[in-house]
Amino acid sequence: MKTFQFMWQMIRYRPWLYLVDCIFWTLVHLSPLVPGLIALMFFNTLAAHSHLSFTLWGLIALLIVSALARVVVLLGGALADILHRFTMSALLRRNMFERILERPGARAVPYSPGEAISRFRDDAELAEDAISWTLDTIGECLFAIVAVAILLTISAKITLLVFFPLVSVVAIVQMVSKQLEKYRTASREATGNVTSAIGELFETVQAIKVAGAETYVVNHFQELNEKRRVTMLKDSVLTQTLDSTFGNIVGLGTGLILILAAQSLGTTNFSVGDLSLFIYYLAFVTDFTQFFGMFLAHYKQTKVSFERMVTLLQGAPPATLVEHGPLYLTKAIPELTTPGKGETHFLDTLEAAELTYRYPDTGRGIERISLRLKRGSLVVVTGRIGSGKTTLLRVLLGLLPRDAGEIRWNGQLVAEPATFFVPPRSAYTAQVPQLFSDTLEENILLGLTEQNVDLQAAIHMAVMEQDVAELENGLQTVIGTKGVKLSGGQAQRAAAARMFVRDAELLVCDDLSSALDVETERTLWERLFAQREATCLVVSHRRPVLQRADHIIVLKEGRVEAEGTLEYLLGNCEEMQRLWRGDLHS
Amino acid sequence: MGLPLKKYTDLLVNYLRPQWRKTLLMVVLLLVSVGLQLVNPLILRYFIDTALSSRALASLTLVALLFISIALTNQAISILATYISENVAWTATNMLRTDLVAHCLSLDMAFHKAHTSGELIERIDGDVNTLSNFFSQFVVHLLSNLMLLIGVLFLLFGINWRVGLAVSVFALTALLILIAIRSRAVPRWIAERQMSANFYGFLGEQLAGTEDIRANGATHYAMRRFHQLLHNWYPISRKASLAAYAMGMTTITVFAIGNALAFALGAYLWSTGTITIGTVYLIFYYTNLLTQPIEQIRNQLQDLQRAGASIQRVEELLQIKPSIVDGIGTPLPAGALSVEFRNVSFGYVEANTVLHDLTFHLQPGKVLGVLGRTGSGKTTLARLLLRLYDYQEGEIYLGHVPLRSVSLHTLRQRIGMVTQDVQLFRASVRDNLTFFNRAITDARIIEVLDDLGLAKWYRSLPKGLNTELGSDGEGLSAGEAQLLVFTRVFLANPGLVILDEASSRLDPATEHLIERAVSKLLMGRTAIVIAHRLGTIQRADEILIMGDGHILEHSSREELAGDVTSRFYHLLQTGLEEVRT
Repeated sequence: MKTFQFMWQMIRYRPWLYLVDCIFWTLVHLSPLVPGLIALMFFNTLAAHSHLSFTLWGLIALLIVSALARVVVLLGGALADILHRFTMSALLRRNMFERILERPGARAVPYSPGEAISRFRDDAELAEDAISWTLDTIGECLFAIVAVAILLTISAKITLLVFFPLVSVVAIVQMVSKQLEKYRTASREATGNVTSAIGELFETVQAIKVAGAETYVVNHFQELNEKRRVTMLKDSVLTQTLDSTFGNIVGLGTGLILILAAQSLGTTNFSVGDLSLFIYYLAFVTDFTQFFGMFLAHYKQTKVSFERMVTLLQGAPPATLVEHGPLYLTKAIPELTTPGKGETHFLDTLEAAELTYRYPDTGRGIERISLRLKRGSLVVVTGRIGSGKTTLLRVLLGLLPRDAGEIRWNGQLVAEPATFFVPPRSAYTAQVPQLFSDTLEENILLGLTEQNVDLQAAIHMAVMEQDVAELENGLQTVIGTKGVKLSGGQAQRAAAARMFVRDAELLVCDDLSSALDVETERTLWERLFAQREATCLVVSHRRPVLQRADHIIVLKEGRVEAEGTLEYLLGNCEEMQRLWRGDLHS
Repeated sequence: MGLPLKKYTDLLVNYLRPQWRKTLLMVVLLLVSVGLQLVNPLILRYFIDTALSSRALASLTLVALLFISIALTNQAISILATYISENVAWTATNMLRTDLVAHCLSLDMAFHKAHTSGELIERIDGDVNTLSNFFSQFVVHLLSNLMLLIGVLFLLFGINWRVGLAVSVFALTALLILIAIRSRAVPRWIAERQMSANFYGFLGEQLAGTEDIRANGATHYAMRRFHQLLHNWYPISRKASLAAYAMGMTTITVFAIGNALAFALGAYLWSTGTITIGTVYLIFYYTNLLTQPIEQIRNQLQDLQRAGASIQRVEELLQIKPSIVDGIGTPLPAGALSVEFRNVSFGYVEANTVLHDLTFHLQPGKVLGVLGRTGSGKTTLARLLLRLYDYQEGEIYLGHVPLRSVSLHTLRQRIGMVTQDVQLFRASVRDNLTFFNRAITDARIIEVLDDLGLAKWYRSLPKGLNTELGSDGEGLSAGEAQLLVFTRVFLANPGLVILDEASSRLDPATEHLIERAVSKLLMGRTAIVIAHRLGTIQRADEILIMGDGHILEHSSREELAGDVTSRFYHLLQTGLEEVRT
């Protein structure tokens, strides 16, 4: 999709606002015509009479009045543009975010958060600038047309001969702008490296401190900064060279005017007033050319930005980036509605056949795994590290896109597991759960309304009542980034509570109890099975869980090694024996 | 005047001083540029007056050519000045960024738990980018425009003292008005940047948690919060932008008055025959020329608004001092280190004590197994030893040296810790292992991987040590990531090793794999193994059982295993797999 197509779609989002914006800014850009004409009349009057006349004072007064009018128009333009700009970048950001949320959960963002944020922040801003500048382009274009028309009526020869440099400048821009794109990409990439390095540095700060590696890490950061400096310098010097060329056209143009006007100055053809008008308008017209040149160069950069933003969409049609949808900037945001649990959510059997997925970079994954889950049973998936347990859960739930295989819910084929396997059908706790900077209550509810669910029951099931009681503000305590103010075990149980409160038919847990001591873990499972007929698919290698299981699937190197009851496996499967024994060694 | 001028100059001086030569060159170039800009209007006046009085075409054309050549020279100078100024700016802000990163790294863990990495990106990169303008443009443009301003006023005085006086008063008034307006805008800009930081902090978290959001059906909730943030951000952004526009509008009004003034004075003096029309035009031209410096000064002040907001935020960040004071540098003995806790009490929050009056002693070379429920204070113990937090009462001794007097660098070199919270980043396997320390050779790394039994895994990597890992260790399973962290510790040469539930994420078979290597690691070193599974502490010489921040039981393993009344004995009999206190 072309850049102007993106921009056109964005403009169409709020067409009336854009129009109002446009009108105001056209007036703003046309307004400098007036002082120029007033100056013209002033000098002509001055030359004609050698005494102060009423006309002169009138002109001076008119100058001030027109300035005030200009301020009013500018205010209107400001209000319109501020809203419009905010709306434009908000639209892009919203669409990118929405699309990311639609992607399979475990492959939603192709970059480090820092890199992704650079697109949300800088690239969206660039696009916002591009659109806002179209208004200025229109305004300045109109100004240029009117100004040139006026100048032509004064002296056609000078007007035409002076505008040659202007045309040549545009030509230069076209030639040089190809280079610009290359530098712009390089500088954006270097910036991305720096921001993502900062992000990661602080994500891993504890490890860095513990290893005492601050100095080395900082040196590495310095290197990244240096690379960025070099690319940025190339980029901005080139841009500046173009800018100053434009800026200097005034000087060159004035010189040309002087040469051409040398003959006719002082005659009836060309007065001092005319000279002043030419020089005055020349500055603005070249402002326009410079601006237009900048706009063109910026347009090229915008192309790069749109491309970068589209990569975040990961396969969705580029038009998704500029899709229209409500933003609620000034209106109230509608409340969330949570679907109730109905018949369609009932789970009788869950079957998966020949599930296959390979991670593109490492080539590892799962191959042709089949499983069957009946209502009320506990199925445990176990195996050594790297055997594909987490991958299996993710593929089943649509958090990774499967390469092959089928999933059936109560015998019906599931076309889109990513949208299908959500509460109230299923809920999931990841191996390393992510909690957010918000109150503990919000983290558990995550959008559910307290009235509709049994929060206390979920907390009870997750064996968290004591922890909640001990927290400063109980449920209202704000937990920090990644819930780190909670201990490892508390974070896992909070994630468990988050899963339980959703009253799902199927509970999927990846290594739920790794951070829990046995007593807590035992209590958790006891409470879970006591209260409801829970159907659970669990990854674990903990003995109490394996002992409780109705069915165990042993994975090895991405394939099913064996399955059956614990007794059967301990008697017949060497891998299972090894896993079981690994806990103690004599 | 908003932020005190001193803060600006302090920052300027600090970061520009290393580049004073380049800065000086810049200033010289600018002086020349200003001079050229002042000369050209005089050429115009000469041209007009000569053209009106006589028509010596040849000399007029020469004059015009002179005008053009001066314009071209000016452009060349401005390009050169830009190159130098941008270079200076980037070098200076890179220094600042590095300083900020180093500073933040030195801050306590408490700080890092309170600030998301998305927010820190905004502060370190976002705010510093704003300052980049400050460094490159402020000095350059503000200074040169001030000189231009003064030059113009000087020349106008030369023409006619009334004109000079009137325009000087005008220029001064204009500047004062603009400055007054600026100071009201800074708080609005600060608020805007804070909202921006909040938004990107939120976004960063959501992007990291897509799996959790998706699988728990919380996508609509996430979108809703997104919209809420935007909804709250808009009015603040609008206020900040309006403040900036207010300056523009004031400039327009003020300059209309200035032009009116120029016309009035020019007309008056012309009517009394004091000056020529060329001079009237000159006054008009110079007054208009003032637009540029005053507008540029306004622009720079506007950028200064943003820079002011950013400087304030940078200063705030730099003001945060780590509460953990580095030790004076008492050396630690070589080899295995002894550990002693003497009446140590600690709480993350002063009111809630997590460790109560803890006292125990661990001899060098011994392995201590620490057992207890989650929340009993086991991990806190480790954090205190590494001085990630400082204890409030009592004293800890490492190798008979008070912990607080050992330098932090030495401390962290001599203690190695493996936790269940694996922290990997987007870089090569080598860099993840060595943290970019080039001094550690590949041979050594491979040797350690071999020792650990990871040789097979290492050979399976597509590019060996150069294999790039994704951010947050993508591309490795959680267990493999854990093994990488073990390797990190093995690469150092600690006198004390702390394993904090390090094998919780390993399946028993894999854990069995590295048991042998762990034994190797612990040989000749003191170790504290924190776990809630009995299997993990089979090799412990002593056992410490904790509960609610107190020591419930501490003695040698043999003794406790033999004592039928001890908790440990009870565990061995009933637990078989895990701890129950």
